[in-house]
Amino acid sequence: MAYMNAAGMNVHGFSLDSSGAIVSIPRLPLSLDGEDGVFEWRVTSPDDKEKIIAQLDRLLEGGDEAHDFLRQRAALMVDEMLENALYAAPRDANGKQLFHKGAKRAVLPGECITVRCAFNGERLSLEVSDNWGSLSTETALHFISLNLDSENIESDRAGRGLFFMWHFMDDFYVSVKPGEETAIGGALSLYPHLNETGAGNYGTTIQD
Amino acid sequence: MEQPFKINVCKYVGGDIVQFHGNIDADADRYFDDFFKQISNNRIVMDFSNTGRINSMGIALLLRSIKRIKTEKQAEVSIKGLNQINNMLFRMTGIFQLASE
Repeated sequence: MAYMNAAGMNVHGFSLDSSGAIVSIPRLPLSLDGEDGVFEWRVTSPDDKEKIIAQLDRLLEGGDEAHDFLRQRAALMVDEMLENALYAAPRDANGKQLFHKGAKRAVLPGECITVRCAFNGERLSLEVSDNWGSLSTETALHFISLNLDSENIESDRAGRGLFFMWHFMDDFYVSVKPGEETAIGGALSLYPHLNETGAGNYGTTIQD
Repeated sequence: MEQPFKINVCKYVGGDIVQFHGNIDADADRYFDDFFKQISNNRIVMDFSNTGRINSMGIALLLRSIKRIKTEKQAEVSIKGLNQINNMLFRMTGIFQLASE
């Protein structure tokens, strides 16, 4: 499903229902650009992950159960988004992954990984971008559908982190400029409409 | 302050209790072999009361270790002490199909 966005760019967009089926052309991805109170962290080392999560934790202060659950979800989302940016995104010219998860690595010269968030008291918007632009629409959709299979329990199923993001975040989006930038984001509500298996997700957008 | 990851195995009359402390992610991988060697009972309780975040790599490690315990040790695994999000992750990923609550 292709259409032109506001900048005249040809966009391939999909909206997925809670079973992972494509149902309609979605609205355009969220952008944090227009939001007030945006916090931004430039990642200079994989060790920054825990520091960013700790700062985000303080931003979402509140002693009740709802705030506690929001902090749990936010920490997991930033963890998965940064693991994706640090380990899944970097590829060589042949598309081979450069770093394995858990391996020690440094942020490369010129590599740019940024975490952004905004919290209005009830809704937390999150986005992580990298300048690899290596995720394809097909891969993102494949990962989501692969992980919807609850019959075969595979230990090392690919794309589980992306699936978690899709599952928990409202208005989840993946925006890819091939070879230039990947941005993954979405929003978490303080009072989410969650069912037993996670958030119903009807606003997913994937574009490249 | 982030709690360093560690796994304690405690023996009790009815089986072994495996306590996970800290976040379970790719860094936790090297500790899993060691705890597997310490398991000697055919009833295992995995206790997540002191566990923080479990990311997708942590879920993979847990799935792998539960399958290994069930096949190589012929043991039954049960789970306790999950917080809200980890409980959801266990349901989403099929861990509760391998281990009881």
